[in-house]
Amino acid sequence: MNGEVSFDRVVTIALSLPSRRSTSFCSAFNGSEFLLDCELSFPSRILSRCEVARGRGLIHPERVNLSILEVHQLTKTYPDMARGQFVALGGISFAANPGEVFGLLGPNGAGKTTALRILSTVLQPTSGMVRINGFDVMTHPAEVRHSIGFVSNNTAVYDRMSAWEMVEYFGRLYGIEKQNLRERMERLFDDLQMQDIRDVSGAKMSTGMKQKTSIARAMIHDPPILIFDEASNGLDVMVARRLLDIVAKLRDAGKCIIFSTHIMREVERLCDRVAIMHRGSILAEGTLPVLSERFGQDDFEELFFELLSHHDRQHGIEAA
Amino acid sequence: MNWDHVQLIFARELRDQFRDRRTMFTIAVLPLLLYPLMGMLMLQITQFHREHPVRVSVIGNEYWPGQLPLLDGQRLVPGYLEENESKLVQIEPTLVPSHQIRTVPFQRDGDQVVEGDAGKTSDSKIEGRSLYRQQLLDESKNRVFAGETDLVLLIHPDTVEQLAKLRDHLNPAEESTLASAPPSSSSFLTIVGNRASDRSMIADRRIRAAIENWQRTWVSQKLNEANINQKLVQPLSIGEIDVAPAATRSALVWSKLLPFVMLVWALTGAFYPAVDLCAGEKERGTLETLLSSPVRRKEIVWGKLMTVMCFSVCTALLNLFSMQVTAALVMRQFSRLGTEGLFESLGPLPISSIGWLIIMLLPISALFSALAMAVAALARSSKEGQYYLMPLLLVGMPLVVLPMLPGVTLSVGTSIVPVTGAVLLSRALIEGQYHEALVHLPFVVAVTAMACLLAIRWAVRQFESETVMFRENERFDLQTWIRQVWRDRGETASAAEATLCGMIILVALFFGRMMAAEPTLDWIAIAKSTLIIQVGMILAPCLIMATMLTRSLRHSLRFQRPRISDLAFCVLLAICLHPSYVVLASWVQQEYSIGADTKVLLQQFDAVIGAAPLWSVIFFLAVVPAICEELAFRGFIFGGLIERNGVVRAIVVSSLFFGMSHGVLQQTITASLMGIILGVIAWRSGGVLCGMFFHVTHNSLSMWLARAAREPDGIPNWSQWAFTQVEGGWDYSPTWTAFSVLLAVIGFAWFFARERDFSIPVSGSITSLRTES
Repeated sequence: MNGEVSFDRVVTIALSLPSRRSTSFCSAFNGSEFLLDCELSFPSRILSRCEVARGRGLIHPERVNLSILEVHQLTKTYPDMARGQFVALGGISFAANPGEVFGLLGPNGAGKTTALRILSTVLQPTSGMVRINGFDVMTHPAEVRHSIGFVSNNTAVYDRMSAWEMVEYFGRLYGIEKQNLRERMERLFDDLQMQDIRDVSGAKMSTGMKQKTSIARAMIHDPPILIFDEASNGLDVMVARRLLDIVAKLRDAGKCIIFSTHIMREVERLCDRVAIMHRGSILAEGTLPVLSERFGQDDFEELFFELLSHHDRQHGIEAA
Repeated sequence: MNWDHVQLIFARELRDQFRDRRTMFTIAVLPLLLYPLMGMLMLQITQFHREHPVRVSVIGNEYWPGQLPLLDGQRLVPGYLEENESKLVQIEPTLVPSHQIRTVPFQRDGDQVVEGDAGKTSDSKIEGRSLYRQQLLDESKNRVFAGETDLVLLIHPDTVEQLAKLRDHLNPAEESTLASAPPSSSSFLTIVGNRASDRSMIADRRIRAAIENWQRTWVSQKLNEANINQKLVQPLSIGEIDVAPAATRSALVWSKLLPFVMLVWALTGAFYPAVDLCAGEKERGTLETLLSSPVRRKEIVWGKLMTVMCFSVCTALLNLFSMQVTAALVMRQFSRLGTEGLFESLGPLPISSIGWLIIMLLPISALFSALAMAVAALARSSKEGQYYLMPLLLVGMPLVVLPMLPGVTLSVGTSIVPVTGAVLLSRALIEGQYHEALVHLPFVVAVTAMACLLAIRWAVRQFESETVMFRENERFDLQTWIRQVWRDRGETASAAEATLCGMIILVALFFGRMMAAEPTLDWIAIAKSTLIIQVGMILAPCLIMATMLTRSLRHSLRFQRPRISDLAFCVLLAICLHPSYVVLASWVQQEYSIGADTKVLLQQFDAVIGAAPLWSVIFFLAVVPAICEELAFRGFIFGGLIERNGVVRAIVVSSLFFGMSHGVLQQTITASLMGIILGVIAWRSGGVLCGMFFHVTHNSLSMWLARAAREPDGIPNWSQWAFTQVEGGWDYSPTWTAFSVLLAVIGFAWFFARERDFSIPVSGSITSLRTES
């Protein structure tokens, strides 16, 4: 029993949290699932409290999964003309925690975008489970959407709207009250140093401006989870670095960040943990030092390349 | 649905479109400029026609005795044309230079031959004349063609002779050798013009009018001289009363044309914003962010739909407004020019008519908008979206053009056609036929609402479909496609394959009927062509497709062993529904009357069938069609369409295909309705055999009744309770008809409510049909 806490203890931790709001919250405890109906403000907050408990050795780390984002045996298949049923995701599992940048690293076509689209409820999984902030993407898509901010690779900025209008539009779609929204936007525009591009329309923005606007839009409802889908694609060095700085700041503010990329340097600079994806499956997952140790390779780029080639050889696929 | 979201999306999209210059140009600027420009062009053309001076050469003026009465030197004689128009005709009497004429065997003064010897025979004289005449004609043609003159009025060299003949003929009192001979058929005036040239045609119109007037004057002069009453020429004067109200009359053209123009613009006005709102948003990647926001897809569709509809309505209204203003101004201009008679029916519409048009516009605009959205959602980029306009127009146009066809008026038949019904209704309202409009209003409203709902549902489905929203750019390759179809073929057909099969059958029938049509109408020929059509054009395509595209014939053709009670029920149901079918068929024939030719053909057909042995008639016209049609429509097609909970789709689409396969409109309608019943049977019984029993019974009854009803003792005694004697034979009695409907309804309720196990395993008796791949 060393290092384990009873179920009652978890409930006690959960209920001792200050704010009260009704929501549901799942936890896997001692190998079985319990559904706790707790009066909580943000599930993420108990999650972080439980993390603390886990860190102190109160909860057995392997037994209790209290991650804010859980992906379990997720598969996605598409009907495809040339290949019949094309398996975009072949049962991937990972989890991410608040205050952490989780990197999804993989070559083009690895299934990163598909996975992230499922996380953001744009696509539906073929099978498997995705739980975000305690909500299943299939059964509670609305709650999931309130918990995430999605920054896509093509910046997604309306040509005929200014930065201010665009962020305001999404803020209102998230149901934020006018006064509140205004204050939040002012703060956000200050934080992201966007005040000078307030009235620039999308068509006239540089890629960097678009990226900032896109981030502001994704953060307007203050979600606990932010998803960056190859967000640094096509950015020049300066802008890309500024983006990484913003992401780092967000992490420090306690956000859970899913960052997909195919650029090694970004992973090395930014990610706390990495999952290496290839052809719809995760080949390896862990912190960078752990991965280096496991595969006996210090150079991360080499490691990545070897893993991919090894996988292709195993499956008899000619490496591209 | 959260209407706040819808409103937010609507407001954003509207603002976005207003900021788009291309959209604004198509929707607002173009219509506002287009019609005034067209009006100006029309005015210019009219002015050109009215005020353009033309040159007319008169060749052979010297052959007319004295001056041609039409001419006054370089001018037309005043009075034959209106003064201002008369001034615009410049006459150029032209002498053909002698060097251009190779031989001049003929001259004006009498029959004297100037060249050659006097002893020549009259034959050669005639030959010479016609040669000369030909040369003059060629010369005239050349001049007009070369543009030296706009028109040539050619006076023939033998005019004097012909005039003399004419005079002799008209005055038989003066004894003459030629008195009894008819006037020569060859004319003495020829107009040589060029139809390809506007100026030449204007000259032609003016000269003809002048000649006409000259001739009229001449005739009345002659009548006066002969002391004959002028009335003899036109003894009847016809009075005319038009009951159409003045407003209707003046708006005659617009009331037909405006709905057409408005709806074309409503469709166009819906399409461009729809492409930008769907495909454009996909292209920019903004759709993905919108989909990951708390907005539900239904809300997105409604928000966008409202925007699209807004633009559709605005475009149509702006066009209407611009057209009416231009029409009013141009009309004023025309009346100043004094040609209002030509454009009497082009006056602007009264306000009330415009109100009716707007009321009609709203639902149709909604329909078009939803269709445009659903189609545009397919496109991956704006450019690809533009390609979809043509197919959409091809579908929409016939419905809009149909009401413009002469003779198409509001009736039950036309009012249930989407769009067409609404247009006809609005026209009836414009023309003040309120009673007519009120009677058909429920049909039009129901059909339009239904069409709108279906279109909106389609659009929402498109947005909910991952394959539509995130379609990858796949290159089409025939070989991989065929391989894929073969590899992925399922137990039953897919919905697309089923639809394709239906279309193939329809096309095969269209060509097959033309080829299989026998010139002689006898029983052997009818049986033969029925067999060819049923087996070759209905059964064969579905069997081929079932073998190639599915793994199991048994499943794809829905060979399910039925319950005996179901089979019996279907036979009884067919008997009970037959009287109402007969009523329905005769009502349809009344509503959509059959042409006289077809009627005769049908009578001959009935006579031939009446003479043939009953068993063979039943075999060829009941059993064979039942087997072939059921296997195709309720087997393969229905089985493909019912996939993924598509029960309603399967029943509706298969019945439409079934109906259309009958070729004749009247049969299509009745067969489609029967198809719905057959579809429900196919669904609830889970197989194809019950439908076959129903079908055989139904067709056999029709065949038997067709021949039995014509003979006084055709109906056996034991069944006479169900019939009454009518003029020329037997018919179902009204009591039985009403009672049978009741029976059918009760039976159907029982059949419907019966517990079903749709996964009944099929026993070995029919499994021999199964093909293993």
